[in-house]
Amino acid sequence: MNTHIPLTLIGISHKTAPVEIREKIALSKEEQVTVHKRLLDAFHLKGILTLSTCNRTELYLSGDLSENELQHIREWLNDFKQTSYFTQEQHTYVFQGKEAVRHFFDVAAGLDSQVIGEPQITNQVKEAYHLAHQGQVTDALLNKLFSYGLQAQKHVRSETFLSDGAVSVSFAGVELAKKIFTSLADKTVLLIGAGETAELAALHFLDKGVGRILIANRTFSKASELANRFKGEAYELDELKRILTETDIVISATSATEYVLTREMVEPQLKHRPYDPLFLIDLAIPRDLDPELNELDNVYLYNLDDLNEVVQLNLERRKQEIPRADKIIQEHVREFVNWLSTHASSQIIHRLKRYFDDLRKAELKRLNSRLPEEGMEQIEYLTESLVNKILHQHIQLLKKNIRNPELYEQYLEFLHELYEIDK
Amino acid sequence: MQVFCEILSYLLPLFYFGLIYVYYQIFTGKNRKFERWTKTLLLSLLIIHGLEIILRQIYLKTMPLSSTYDAISFLAFSILLVYYIIERSFNNKASGFFILLFAFFPALIAAFNHHWQAEKNPLLATPTFAIHASLNIIGYTALTIGAIYAVMFLIQYKNMKQRRFNRFYEKLPPVIYLENMSKRSVLIGIILMGVGILLGHVQTKQMFGHFFISDPKVIFTDLIWVLYVAVYVGAKVKRWSSRTMAYLNVVGFILLSAGGAIVFLMTKSFHKFY
Repeated sequence: MNTHIPLTLIGISHKTAPVEIREKIALSKEEQVTVHKRLLDAFHLKGILTLSTCNRTELYLSGDLSENELQHIREWLNDFKQTSYFTQEQHTYVFQGKEAVRHFFDVAAGLDSQVIGEPQITNQVKEAYHLAHQGQVTDALLNKLFSYGLQAQKHVRSETFLSDGAVSVSFAGVELAKKIFTSLADKTVLLIGAGETAELAALHFLDKGVGRILIANRTFSKASELANRFKGEAYELDELKRILTETDIVISATSATEYVLTREMVEPQLKHRPYDPLFLIDLAIPRDLDPELNELDNVYLYNLDDLNEVVQLNLERRKQEIPRADKIIQEHVREFVNWLSTHASSQIIHRLKRYFDDLRKAELKRLNSRLPEEGMEQIEYLTESLVNKILHQHIQLLKKNIRNPELYEQYLEFLHELYEIDK
Repeated sequence: MQVFCEILSYLLPLFYFGLIYVYYQIFTGKNRKFERWTKTLLLSLLIIHGLEIILRQIYLKTMPLSSTYDAISFLAFSILLVYYIIERSFNNKASGFFILLFAFFPALIAAFNHHWQAEKNPLLATPTFAIHASLNIIGYTALTIGAIYAVMFLIQYKNMKQRRFNRFYEKLPPVIYLENMSKRSVLIGIILMGVGILLGHVQTKQMFGHFFISDPKVIFTDLIWVLYVAVYVGAKVKRWSSRTMAYLNVVGFILLSAGGAIVFLMTKSFHKFY
C-alpha cells in the first residue's frame, strides 16, 4: 500500500564519510537540544529525533517537507556545525518515507553498524529518543517509529544469531574460556606481562566477573601498579611455577624473545590439579608460551592467530544472518506502515465526525427558537442518529478502499472537495 | 480402550521424532525461535507418555513394567524425564538432539511390540519387582546419559584442542560441564542400579530361597555393575584424566548395551526363571 509517510532522514555515517568528517559533524547532547529547538521553530516540523554516535549523525524529521525546505535545513546544519558536508551528496544521504523508516530499523538492529550486530547502537538509539522525548520534540509518528524500531531489534536479536560471538581478539579469549569453564566467577586469571595488550584482555575477563587476578611481570613495580588498579596480586616472574597451581587462565603478552612458559615448567604443576583445565592465551609476538603445552591433557593453548580465526568466523556467521534479519525488519516496516495508514484513517474519521457534528449543532441552534421545547431531547437523539448513520457509510467506504491505494486516494480527494477535509 | 491405548502408543514415536526435529533445528541454528518452545514441548510429551503408560497398566490391570516392552517404553520415558530436568537445571539445549535420539528408538521399538495381554507371573505382580525394575531402568538411563555426555565431552575436547571452531564447537556446552555431567550421571547410575540389583536379589531370595540365581541376565548385569564400580573407584584413586574416564565411560556403555541386547535376544524374556 502506498501510505504517505511524512518522515525525512538526513544523515552522515561510516558508510559515507571517514572519521575526520564524522568527528566534525557529531552533535553533543547540548547541541542536539539546540538543533531540536531551532529546527522545530524555523521549519514547522511536527517532531525531530537526532542520533549522534561515533559512527553516524542522523536527523529524523517528522512532517511534510518541500525540496526547498529540505535544502534550507541542510544549509542550516552546515552553518550550525561550520562545515559544508551536509550539502555534499557524496557524504550526506537523504531518505524519505518508507526508506527512512527502513533505515531507522536497520540502525536500531545493528544491521547498519560498522561491526554488524554490535549491541551498543540499541542503547544509543534509546538515549537519542529519550533526549528528544524529554525535550517534548517527538510526535506520534516518531514515538511509534521508536517503539516499532525497538520491537524489530528485539525480534532480530531473539530469532537470529546476528549479535552472537566475539568480534574482537581480546574478547575472543573470553568466548573461548566460556567453552571450557561453566562459570568464570570462581576462576583465577594470571597475567604475564603488564603491557596494554594484557591489560585489555584482562579487562574483558574482569568485566565477566572473574574471581581473582594475579599479575607477574619482569618489572615488579609495573605488576604492582596494575594489581592495584585491578585489585589483584603482583608477583615476580620467577614465582610463575608456584602460582601456576592456583591459576585457571593464563594471559601472556610480554616482549620476551624466549618462551616464558614451557612444557617442562607446566607439566609437574598439573599433577596437583588433575581435573582442572588450564586455559592459556598467548597474545605475544614472538610467542611466550611453548606450543607443546597444547599436547598436555586438560591444557588448552591459543595464540593470536587462533583468536583471529575465531573473530573471522564470528564475523562470517553474522554476515550469513543478514538475510534473515532483513526479512524480520521488512515485516516490522510493513507493520509500521499498517499502523500509520490506520492512524491516518482514524484522523480522517475524527475530522469527518467533527464536521458533521458541527453541522448538526449549527442547524439545531438555528432552529432552536422554532422547535417545541418538550421535543428537544428526541430531536437531539434523531439528529445524532442520522449523523452516525451517514458516518457509518463513510467509515465502511474508507475501510473498503484502504487496501487499494488508487481508490483510497480518490476517496480522500472526494472528501476534500465535498467537506473540505484535509488528507 | 485398547484401540485408544494402541493409537497413543503408535503416536508416541512420532511425537518423539517431532521433538528431535525441533532439537535438530536448535542444534544446527537454523531457526532460533524453536528455542522458546522446548519447555512446553518436553513437558507435553512427558505428560502424553506418562498418560500412555498409566492407561496401558489400567487397561491390562497389571503392575507397571510387567513386560519387556513396558520396560523399554519406560526407558524412553525416563530418558525424556532426566533430560527435561537437565535442561531446566542447566539451561543448555544443545545436548537435547543427542540425548533424545536415545529415547526415540526405545519408544519406537516398544510402540510396535506391546502384547496387550496381561502378564500372569506372580513375581511381576509384587511392588518389589516394580521398584527393582524401575530403579534398574532409571539407573540404565543415567548410564546412557553419562555415556552421551562422555561422547560430547570427547568431541568438544578435540575441537578445543585442535582449534576446530565448527558447529559442534559452537553448540556444545563447555568441556567442564560435559565432564561433570558425565561423571555425575555415572555415579547416579551406579547407585540406582546397585539398589535395583540388590532388590532383585532380595526378591529371588524371597521367591526361590536363593540370593543368587544363575541366570544370564543376572550374571551379566551384576558383572557390568561391578565393572562400573571398579573403574569409577579406580579412576578416583589413580586420578585418571578426564579424557581416559570419558573413553572408559563410552566403552562401559557399549559393553552394557551390546551385552544386554545379546542376552535379551538369547532369552527373549526378563530372566530365565519367568
